[in-house]
Order: sequence, then structure tokens, then C-alpha cells
Amino acid sequence: MATEVERKTDIGPPHYEKFLHPLVKENYGKWEYHETLAPGVLMHHGPAGDLYTVRVSSPRLVSINFLNNILDLADKYADGYLRFTSRNNVEFLLANKDNIEPLKKEISELGLLVGGTNNAISNIVHTQGWVHCHSAATDASGLVKSVMDELAEYFTSQKLPAKLRIAVACCLNMCGAVHASDIAILGVHRTPPKIDNATLPNLCEIPTTVASCPNNAIRPTSIEGKTTVKVDEDKCMYCGNCYTVCPAMPLADPLNDGVSIWVGGKICNARSEPMFTKLAIPYLPNNPPRWPEVTGAVKNIVEIYAANAKPYERVGEWINRIGWPKFFDLTGIEFTKYHLDDFRHAGTTYRRSLHNRY
Amino acid sequence: MAIPVEQLADEMYEIIKESAGVKKLKGGDLTKAMVAKYGDEVSRADAKAAIRMLIDSGRCVYGYFGGSSIELPHSEAAENK
Amino acid sequence: MADDLKTPLLDELEKGPWPSFVKDIKSLAGKKEMAKDLLRQLEKSYEDKRGYWKHGGLVGVMGYGGGVIGRYSALPEEFPGVSHFHTLRINQTSGWFYTADALREILNIWEEHGSGLLNVHGSTGDLVLLGTRTEELEPTFRALTEKGWDLGGSGSDLRTPSCCVGPGRCEYACYDTLSLAYNLTHAYQDELHRPMFNYKYKIKMSGCPNDCTAAIARSDMGIIGIWKDDIQVKPDAVAEYVDSGLDVQGLVVENCPTGCIELDGNEIKIDNSNCVKCMHCINVMPKALSPGKERGAAITLGAKAPIVEGALFGSVIIPFMKLEEPFEEVHDLIERIWEFWDEHGTNRERIGEFIERVSLATFLEGIGEKPLPQMIKAPRDNPYVFYEEYYAEEGEGEK
Repeated sequence: MATEVERKTDIGPPHYEKFLHPLVKENYGKWEYHETLAPGVLMHHGPAGDLYTVRVSSPRLVSINFLNNILDLADKYADGYLRFTSRNNVEFLLANKDNIEPLKKEISELGLLVGGTNNAISNIVHTQGWVHCHSAATDASGLVKSVMDELAEYFTSQKLPAKLRIAVACCLNMCGAVHASDIAILGVHRTPPKIDNATLPNLCEIPTTVASCPNNAIRPTSIEGKTTVKVDEDKCMYCGNCYTVCPAMPLADPLNDGVSIWVGGKICNARSEPMFTKLAIPYLPNNPPRWPEVTGAVKNIVEIYAANAKPYERVGEWINRIGWPKFFDLTGIEFTKYHLDDFRHAGTTYRRSLHNRY
Repeated sequence: MAIPVEQLADEMYEIIKESAGVKKLKGGDLTKAMVAKYGDEVSRADAKAAIRMLIDSGRCVYGYFGGSSIELPHSEAAENK
Repeated sequence: MADDLKTPLLDELEKGPWPSFVKDIKSLAGKKEMAKDLLRQLEKSYEDKRGYWKHGGLVGVMGYGGGVIGRYSALPEEFPGVSHFHTLRINQTSGWFYTADALREILNIWEEHGSGLLNVHGSTGDLVLLGTRTEELEPTFRALTEKGWDLGGSGSDLRTPSCCVGPGRCEYACYDTLSLAYNLTHAYQDELHRPMFNYKYKIKMSGCPNDCTAAIARSDMGIIGIWKDDIQVKPDAVAEYVDSGLDVQGLVVENCPTGCIELDGNEIKIDNSNCVKCMHCINVMPKALSPGKERGAAITLGAKAPIVEGALFGSVIIPFMKLEEPFEEVHDLIERIWEFWDEHGTNRERIGEFIERVSLATFLEGIGEKPLPQMIKAPRDNPYVFYEEYYAEEGEGEK
């Protein structure tokens, strides 16, 4: 091995310029405006000519076969250029308008959808779930597939009042940062890690395990002369960090793990300021392979929103206009004690005025 | 006078060895320990170079368990042989 | 299809209009033991309603402390194909642009060295190669660097800076996000590959306040394009929108958060001194309106997901900075921030939590920035001010 070539490090990514379509290079920084020609099809106008973008759904978790099919289409219709969006859609960049329809036809033959632009539900940003993560309370890819199967018509159309962004994270660590989406699906653990006292003393470093807890909920203890640990259950917030360090503290609990639903977050500054998502449904069961309770709940919120919001109103803006009591009323979602914040600055979420609607 | 990088690396290695199994140390902890001992005679760049020397030589490895640390090479609990 | 692959639950996910990851992984199951055992273990997860992975914290490539996520099956005897299932993060390119040929080179490497499965892309924006064995990490890394690719970050280090499509295909871009992302990624290779921070540090760049990279919510440091002067108006195009039947009064004027737009016939007037650059009017009428000419970025610090102290959005630290190559002003700011955070932050403390702990005033002093009213929603509403200046008796003067 060592005789081959010199080992390279710290070379960083390739320069982006070599991945830019010639038309992108010529119009770089000089774009004038854009139009949406159809759901998933954009035209950007610049002095050197018009560029056509065709946006396509992707499961994000993909194989080399999936990508090779995509790359062949890029070669055939887009001069070999493509990009991906921040929501994991594929975008073909076309200089020739006549290529749009034949490309769409071949995309459809691959079983993929064109859409995700403007007032649509774009691709769901999500995490790894049971496919790869050690602390997942639910699967992510399966949830996304199940939810998007129900909502596909909103990806391929632009009939919602505004854009609607959905995100999935499979535990509170929120690698998918679902805290600012119109609708968020969040996997939840509801019980502390279970300690395998038989294997823990041999498998794990006690000081490291104790130190791993961000809330100081883990303490050393002794059982039958062997040092192990115990968890202060009131302090545990189910982050899974101890399991990261110590495989003898599994957090997974098939009986209790499940999914919560959150609403009303947004990131862009348009009209209103960015907002956090807020709790709508504290717990729904994990019900693979199709999670019918979750898909039903999400579809219900989408449909009530679509029927009631004004043009350009995002979910959070709509709720702010009508008030939370009306939101629970319209959606039929039960309001419970879990909706009352009890973490830091909880008081800021209490109603401190008489601005209620009756 | 600046402390030679080799010496910093050796002293850091001793600290890592002593805390093995007790406390995971990160790069910043090692740098701060050297600064506490030698003050201005240790620059951040030299401390960084010393850590790189420990890693590149294989005397130490990076670990990640919630946060990154610098450790003696060892097998890990989760590993499947 | 492999005969011994029975996955009745997962098979349900082959149905329906949305593209199926199950169908896709199955397309590899005939030639990749890893893909097959991944499906078998996932099927068991679907049966048992729990995951079966263990975290590995030591595997990596020589000399780097980031870029590889160690993963082991908790059931290696049952699913030997995924006994090791480590991930490699590859530095994303600016704006996620590729040529088919370049991406094919990566796919070929991954077909040879790994599971053949990828995330395009991961949550932080890197290209993620999902699933390989420990002994394949170094050969994969060598093959990637031969083709000009390098690993991204993980652990307590800088993550590959991420940016929107910017001037590559967007008329709203207020600065060159692609160039800055490339510049920062290369300037801070050491911080990306050798974890030295208290915890992770993410930088995201959006070209305008629409913030397509979610910088305000998902990055320790957000660099978000903004302008200072007047929105550029093309009166003819405004008239065209009005004439075409767009309800400019209802959809644009009445949605302006500061009420700074007036419609008079088919002309609009904007009180730019009261515009908060929210982008709504520009988004609705892209042919008629565009950001001003005096462009740059606002810089926010501190966004993060909930663990430990709760989720945070970024808050404005620099209300406006002109951004031009070689971006020395950005480097200077980043290095001042890192130095103060390194010195005074605690283990696993993100910059947002750090600022809240030491206070914004202390942090600003530490990095050498002056407090500005643009940094806050409102001044404090409690009287617990710790005055540092006061008069002493006996003519000792000001402290």
C-alpha cells in the first residue's frame, strides 16, 4: 500500500466552478428574475439566456443505482450538470427548454415525482432512524415514505396557501433540527435507559459514563460488590448520550417509544419573524410499517390549514391569527397538561393578557 | 523561551496516560494544562502541533463520545470484532 | 433478488407514489451483503419497534478526529453483513452543484469500498457514504482524496460550511455564498479535521433573508445576506403585475410587516427607512422588485437543537458586514469568536449556550465588538444592572 501514491490530507472539497453549467457561469451573479412554469419547473432569466430547473423527489437515503439513473438523465438532458437542494431534492439544470417534457417523462418512468416548488410540500428533511442511528426512537425513512405517500399530491401541485415544510427527527437530539418547521414529526423516548448490571462493569468506564450525562443524572453505585451506575429518573431527558458511551445502557423501549407532532415553526423572515415549532400532539404510537396514526394526524393538520389559512400565511402565521384554542378546536386535537411548558422560561408561554377569543 | 513541541507532546502524553479510564481529555484541556504550567512559553499553535504529533505518530487517537477527546489507543465497548 | 430476503413489513413501503428507499436498497441486495443485512436488520426493527445499532467512537482515518461515524450492529451474529456499518462524511461542494462525471467517480469508489448506499445529503449538508467496515475506511479515504474529495467534520469540530445556491442561480443573493463557503472550508481544514473546540461549530450561509439553508435555526454561525439601501423597483413590471390581476394591495401591501408600502393605481411607494428586509414583497413580485445595491450580510450566532438547554435561534451579532473576497473580515471575526469560546467555554457547550451563560455583554467585550440596538428585540425589563462605572467618595474618581 505504502508504495503507491503519497497520502493526501486536508485538500478540502473541489472548487465549485468546475461543477457549474456554462449558462450558470455566464449568468453568475447577474440573474434578473425567475418564473415558475409548472410545479417543479423553474425558469431563471439572466442576460446570457434562460436556465430551466426541473426539481425531483428523492428519498435522500439512496443507492448508487438510484444516482446512476439520475446521472444518466443529467447527461442526456442537462449537459451533465445537476445539483441538490437543501431539502434533498434533485435539480436538473437545462439550457434547452425542449428537454423539459422528455426529461419529465423519463423521471416519471423511474417512479419519481416532479414538484416541491412554491406553495407545495417540499421533500421532508429527516434523520437516520433505525437505518443507522443508535439512539433513534423511531424510523425516519419509513415515516417519511408513509407521510409523503399520503401527501404526494401536495408535492406535485402548488395548491396550498403557502409553502409547507415538514421535518422528521428520530429523537430529541434532533439531527434534523425540526424545531423550526411548519410541521415536525419527532421521535420520543419516554423512559430512562435500562441498565444491564451484568455487563456494564466489564463493558463501560464508570467515570466516563457518569460524565456523559448532560444533566448529572447518572451516579456510580455498587451492586453485589461490582461498581455500576444508577440513573436519577427525574433528571433524565432521554438524550441517549450515556448509551453513546456505554452500550450497556440501552434507551430503546418498544413499549413506550413513539412519535410527537409539532406545528407552526418557520425559518424565513418573510412577513413574520422566524418561529419555533410548538407541541401539537404529545404522543402517538410507533406503528410500522405505515404509522397510520402519524400520517393521519399530519394529513388532518395539512387539510385544516389548507382550508382555513389566507394566501401566503404559513402554518404558524395562521395559528397566530386564529389563536391556539381555535387551532385545537378546528383540528380536533386534544389539549393536555403536556402542552404546558415546564422547562426554562416556561412562564413566557403563559397567557399574560386577556386577548382570548371566545 | 518557547518549550519545544516534542517536550509538550511528551508531557501531554503523560497527562493522557494518567487520566485514561478516569476522565476524557479534549484538545483544549491539554492546551490549558500546558499554558497553566509554562505560561507565555507555550503558544496555542505549539500546543496544537504537539497534539498533532501525538495523533500522527499513533501514540494517541481521537475519540468521540458526545464530545471529542484525545485518548490512548484502545478497543471500544461497542466494537464487533 | 436474494431468495433468503424475507421482509414483509418493509415490502409495504414499496407501494405508493413517493419514491421507495426499500425498493432502492433491494436493488443492491443481490450483490451487496451489507445492503441485504441492512434490510434484514431493519425488518427486525420494524417487527420489534426498536433500533439495533451501537455507537462507535474511535474509528476514523489516520490523523483525523472527524468525518467518520462509527456504527456497529447490536446483533452481529444475526446480521454479519452490518456488523460494521460506519459512515463517512464527504465535504459538500458549494451549493451542492455536481457534474455527472464527478459524482460517478464517488459512486464507483463507494461501490468498491462500501455498501453502495448514500445520503444525498446529510443533515449538515455533507455527502454521506453510509455503511462500511473499519478496514475499508483508510482505502476509501485514499481513493476519495485521489479524486479530489476530502472528509467533512464530526465531533467537537467545525462542520463543512454549507451554503445556498446563491449567485449560481438566484437573483436574491446579496453576496457570493458559494465563494465564501469554499473559502471558509479551505481556510479552516485543520479545525474541520482535528477537533479542538468545546463542541461542534456549524456555519451556514444564505444569500438573503429567505434563509434557504436555515442558518438562523441550524447554525452556530449564520451568515445571511441583506442590503442596506432601497429596494430596487421596476415601475413597468409593477404595473404589469397590477394589470395581470395580481391583488397587490391584498397580497403584498397588506402583508408588509411594517406597513411601509403604498399602492397608488399601478404604482407602489416604499418607505425604505422602515423596511425590515423581510423579502415578502420581493418574493411575490420577483420581476418588479429586487434587493438594494448596497449588499452584504448580517451575522448571527448561537442556533442549535434542544439538547441540553433547549433549542435556540441565532441572534444578530453583526447587523451588517460587506462581504468581498478574500473575506478577511469574516476570518478575523471567526477567529476572535473561537479564541474567546475556546478559552472560556465548557465541555460540550455550544456557542449559543455559552453566550447565554456568560451574557451577551461579556461575550461582546470578549470578542471586541460594541453593543448595538440591532442586536436585541428590546432592552432589559429588569432593574438588576451591575454598574461598572460609579463615583467614589474622597475624590478617587471613577472606578
